[in-house]
Formats: sequence, structure tokens, C-alpha cells
Amino acid sequence: MNSKLLYSCLAVVLGTGAGYATSVLAQAKPDVLVKQRQAVMTLQGKYFGPLGAMASGKAPYNAAVVQRNAGFLDNLSRMPWDGFNPNTKNEKTAALPAVYNDRAKFDETASRLENEISRLVTVSRSGDEAAVKAQITAIGKVCGACHNDFRAKK
Amino acid sequence: MTQNIRLAACALLLGAWATSASAQGDAKRGEYLAKAGGCLGCHTEDKKDATPFAGGRALKTPFGTFFGPNITPHPQAGIGKWAEADFVRAMRHGRRPDGANYFPAFPYPSFTKIDDRDLGDLWAYLRTLAPSSRASQPHDLGFPFGWRFLVTVWKWFFFTPGPYLPAPGVADIINRGAYLVQALGHCGECHTPRNFLGGPKRSRFLAGGKSPEGKDVPNLTPTRLKKWRDVDFKDFLVTGVNSDGDVPAEAMGEVIRNTTSQLTPEDLAALIAYLRSLPPLPE
Repeated sequence: MNSKLLYSCLAVVLGTGAGYATSVLAQAKPDVLVKQRQAVMTLQGKYFGPLGAMASGKAPYNAAVVQRNAGFLDNLSRMPWDGFNPNTKNEKTAALPAVYNDRAKFDETASRLENEISRLVTVSRSGDEAAVKAQITAIGKVCGACHNDFRAKK
Repeated sequence: MTQNIRLAACALLLGAWATSASAQGDAKRGEYLAKAGGCLGCHTEDKKDATPFAGGRALKTPFGTFFGPNITPHPQAGIGKWAEADFVRAMRHGRRPDGANYFPAFPYPSFTKIDDRDLGDLWAYLRTLAPSSRASQPHDLGFPFGWRFLVTVWKWFFFTPGPYLPAPGVADIINRGAYLVQALGHCGECHTPRNFLGGPKRSRFLAGGKSPEGKDVPNLTPTRLKKWRDVDFKDFLVTGVNSDGDVPAEAMGEVIRNTTSQLTPEDLAALIAYLRSLPPLPE
């Protein structure tokens, strides 16, 4: 089988998969979507918190914990976004209307977070403590940038 | 770490000696004060590898966009031609060397409370910066807010010049915290809501509310702060993450990186003690 054909088949299969996922999602109740995305945020906090403490020198640096948490965060950081479905607009949450009114910017910030966390996964394997700490700070900035624009004060 | 503390102690001692020996400010002490004052934020461009203190940060307000100027000692682009008296006039009275008013986007209503010794040390520190030729850009203000003489009226309403006077009968730690919060930290510039003229609502001092951009700003009085234990609040102001791993909006994230995480443990404790002593104001 030539590779072009293989890729086309793959694309069709994946495309169908994605379509399936979205159609399932469209049926999820808004309050459930909110609960799910908040759960992801909570877990991101669980695994990012210790890294923030290490980056600022508050907690001793532990390369193994950084590597493990970076791996967790790599998956978690891709999970919240489809929970910000427009059908959740009227739920009582800290998400500001800007999430839906300025979707391009929201999506851009979301993918920036994913990228910065992928980079942490790479850097955390290098054993370069200073670079890891700088990357953790970079992630914190993206978290904060999104909270600045898209989250109400708690 | 211990060595750093020892060095800092030596620097402080030397500083004390230097001040008593001459009227020269202590640049090392000034460096710390510049962090406590958060000068870096507005006076540094918001991009990677920007030159610190060379200006360029945009501050968006309902009156227009202000750009923090270059405060390095470059003779043309920065403040290299200034005398110390020009610096004191700017910080204490909100006036340029030519006598015109600064717009209060430069938080001189807070900085006026900085005492003489600290002003001298801040000035000494600013003189040690490498001169940068980065040109300051003009503010971009809506009509008629670009008229500087209007600021005279604004100052008449909202500006009281003069250094912070320790409140009598109040613990030293509270007074130190008040000085850090009100003078150097200029926390009220964001955490005290403003009226339609951009003046602070004094009855709502540090009680939070809406920022000029319409963003929510947290209440710093005990109404909200009582939910935080000292240790959690301290960790938050050092690490930039709270005990749940949550990260504040970047507006505060930057303040934590540049200012609160750089404070000595004593100053951080004073800051918190002062906030706890405030009258609790409702949300």
C-alpha cells in the first residue's frame, strides 16, 4: 500500500472519529460540561502547584516530580477547551463572556498553554534545572494571561 | 543562601554607614526599593529580552493608552540629564523637570508617600543602570485628556503630597506594612476602585471592584483575606500559585514575580499584618 493511500485512509478514519466525538459532545448537558472542565482545571492546579513552588525556590527542586507532573499536565492541558461549549454560556461559572465573544483569542491562548507544557516535557528530560524553572514560569504566565482575559475574580 | 543574607546584612550596614557619612544614596538599598515599588512593570516593554527600565509598556485606561517612559540614565532617551531634585519633584509632586504635571497613570499619588531617604536610594540605584537609547513613545490619549493642565484640577481633588507619617499608637510592623502597601507598592492604584474622573474612592480603600478595563479586582481587606491563612497568603505572594495550584491573573502574576516574591520575609509579614489590620469592607 502506498503511503499516500494509507494517509488518506487514516485521515478519513480520524476525521470520522473527531466528528463522532463532537456529536457526542453536543449532547452533553451544559452543567456536566462545566463540571468536567472545572475538574480538569482542578487537576491542573494539583499538578502545577508544586512546580510553581519549585520554580520560585519555595520548595526543593525534584526532577522526578517535575517529569511526572509535566507528563500529566501535557494531557490535562488539552482537555478543558471543548468543555467551553457555547451551550454553557448561561451556566454560573467564572468564565467571562469573552470566552465565547473572542473565541479566536481564547483558542490561541489555549494552544499557547499546550505548547508551553509540551516544551516543559522536553526540557524536563534534559536535566537543566534553570531551563526547567524558566519554563515553569513561562507556563504560569500563560495561565495568568488567560485568567486575566477570560476568568472573573473568584 | 546564608551567604546571601550575610552579604545583604553587610550591604545594609555599609549602606547605613554610607548614608551617615555623606548625603549620597545607597544604590544597593535602592535596588531593593525599586523592586518593592514595582518600577520594572510599567517601565519595561512587554516582550522577550526587553531592556529593563527602558520603557515601552502600554497601560490601557478609559482616558487613553499611556506608555511607561525610559528611566535609564541615557541623556536624550532617558533621564540622564536629571538632577536628584528633578527625581524628587517627579515622585513627590508629580511634576516634570519643566514644571508640567505628570498624568497620574504614573502613580505619584502613592509614590509621594515614599520618604526622603528611600527617594535618595532609589535615585542612586537608577543612576547605576546602563543607559538605553530606546526612545520613549508619546501617550495616546482621547480628547481632552491629553491636556496636562487638566491634571492640575485632578490633583486638587485627589492628590495630597507628602511622605507617609507613621500612625501613632500603632505597632511598627503595621506602619511598615502600610508604608509598603501605600507608598512603594502602590497597591491601591489597582485595588482601590476609581470614580469617573479616575480618582480613587477613598471610602473603598483596597476594597477591590472593577478595574478601568472592566476587570474584577480582588478586595484586599479582611472581608476576603480572612479566608486565607497567613502561611497560604505568604506562599501565594512568593510562588504565584495558591494552595490549590491556582494561578492569578497575569496582572498580579507580574507583581508577584517583580515585587512580592522579592520582599524580605520581614517586609512580607509586615505587608500581610497591615492588610489584616484594615477595616473589613464589603465586596
